Amino acid sequence: MVGAEAGPNVDPWTEVVRLEYGGDGSFAAILREQVARTPAAGLGRLEAQLLRALAAPDLTEAGRDFLCSQLALVGSAAAVPALAALLANAESADAARLALERIPGPEADAALLAGLATLTGRARTGLVGSIGARRSAGARDALARLAADPAEDAELRAIAARSLALLRPATVGTAP
Amino acid sequence: MTSLPASPSATMGRRRFLQLGSLAAAAPLILPARLRGAAAPSNLIHVAIIGTGNIAEGHLTTLLGYPERGRIVAVCDVDRDRRDRAAARVDAAYGAKGCASVNDFREVTRRADVDAVWVCTPDHWHALIALDAVRHGKDAYVEKPLTLTIEEGRALISAARQHGRIVQHGTQHRSMKRFFDAAGYVRSGGLGKLERIEVAIPPNNRFIGASWEPEAVPEELDWDLWLGPAPGRPYHSSGCHYNFRFISDYANGQVSNWGAHYLDIGQWALDMDASGPIAVEGHGHFPTSGLFTCATHVDFTCHYANGIPMSCRTRQEGGGTVRFIGERGWIDIARNAMSASSNDLLREMQRPGKSVTLARSDNHHENFLDCIRSRALPVADVEIGHRTTTVCNLGQIAMTLGRKLRWDPVTESFPEDPVANRLLGRAARSPWSVV
Repeated sequence: MVGAEAGPNVDPWTEVVRLEYGGDGSFAAILREQVARTPAAGLGRLEAQLLRALAAPDLTEAGRDFLCSQLALVGSAAAVPALAALLANAESADAARLALERIPGPEADAALLAGLATLTGRARTGLVGSIGARRSAGARDALARLAADPAEDAELRAIAARSLALLRPATVGTAP
Repeated sequence: MTSLPASPSATMGRRRFLQLGSLAAAAPLILPARLRGAAAPSNLIHVAIIGTGNIAEGHLTTLLGYPERGRIVAVCDVDRDRRDRAAARVDAAYGAKGCASVNDFREVTRRADVDAVWVCTPDHWHALIALDAVRHGKDAYVEKPLTLTIEEGRALISAARQHGRIVQHGTQHRSMKRFFDAAGYVRSGGLGKLERIEVAIPPNNRFIGASWEPEAVPEELDWDLWLGPAPGRPYHSSGCHYNFRFISDYANGQVSNWGAHYLDIGQWALDMDASGPIAVEGHGHFPTSGLFTCATHVDFTCHYANGIPMSCRTRQEGGGTVRFIGERGWIDIARNAMSASSNDLLREMQRPGKSVTLARSDNHHENFLDCIRSRALPVADVEIGHRTTTVCNLGQIAMTLGRKLRWDPVTESFPEDPVANRLLGRAARSPWSVV
């Protein structure tokens, strides 16, 4: 299948929602270029467009994955609620983490920790890896609990333990 | 047992020597228990090959040529046909059955009888497999590029030092005389004042159309494990073996394929084995549709604190080279050829007795096997490999963003560009993690 070339009358924001694996990627390429080249002052507006596309009712799996990959670059606290909703579902959790892991700030930290309440199995193990990768001191208690919980998957516990070791030592008076 | 190689400690900068010395003192490079002492069950170093495709062929040939020094006890690949072919080749060479053939690398890294692994998988797996290996007490030879991202590289260095493991980067030009001569000659001032370094890399050698249809996964392939930490997508035969290198979810195109070899020699000649450039800029031609996403034409330049630029560009004719241009002329060094603005420069370059003597190895595999026994740091130690791989990644990031970026090689971050900093790592697909 060969898709149409992106022309002047086609809105790539509309087309990218219908992106399919193997299909015409030129609309995504246009948006990828926009994300890469937009100056800092324009990133908020760009993020809002990415979030609008992410909320489209006819969004495909490939479209969702692409939009999350771009939010990984320019997403902010404003993107966290939409990504947190995707994180709650094992089917879309990896796409959500693709963005959330790279978005700085306590909002993304909190969203990832909240994901522990719903995710199970391999999605949960991946989530703990993302929490660990951020090295957020606020995750210390949760990581300690996971590392010590014999009911958790062995690999998950090992990731939690290594994540704890990456955190700076707790200061006197804080929880272990 | 803690030691450092005699020649590197004598020749590397004081800062680098102290850095490595303090690391080695904090975490001794530990000989595998199986090889320790007179009662060791075998004098042979037991090796496993992880990834048995194109790049592993040469390693198999070389290692099978050292039956008295190393023995391949296991091969691993997510493609059953490939791993079984490799195991049969090993058994035939040794004249005995016994080479294990496994699907999951964790079956290898947890084997007590394996001392070292060769990581020959697609690039997106290098870091995670090497990390798992060193955490389980194995030394590791890791094909280039060392890792897919800059953050993965730093994590691998930390783990290797923490667990006292030897990690050799597969930039084997470090063990070839002509590159050794060139780097030493340039660093000794043979070209007079060095003006610039130009690396040329070949263009992509595979092409595919603007669209593709997902295909059924072959029965012999564990596609989920092939994808591993990379984002999920449907299978296509043109996006798996070999061609993975042209898809940015798995690799960085020819920059990290051929570029890793030649940029590495530039880093060596610049005495940047523990550091790197301070800025990078560039532009690439990226496909706008289709399975392949890496730049088909590469053009980036790294700027170093000493004022010397090192460029990396695609050229349509010829393979990779590194060219050093100085006030006395230029030398151009490739794997199978070398030239210069005058033959006198080449003659001088090949003479011994340069004022700067670099770490010397004549054989990359033997150097690694020697270091497994001696616990000395190898000629392409993990930190060196990381710094070279970082140059590849800096070029990739600059081409992706299309703007000049300032780089801090100490903090390994872009001080002025938060978007660029987000490209230093990637979230891994479940259940994998770089942590």
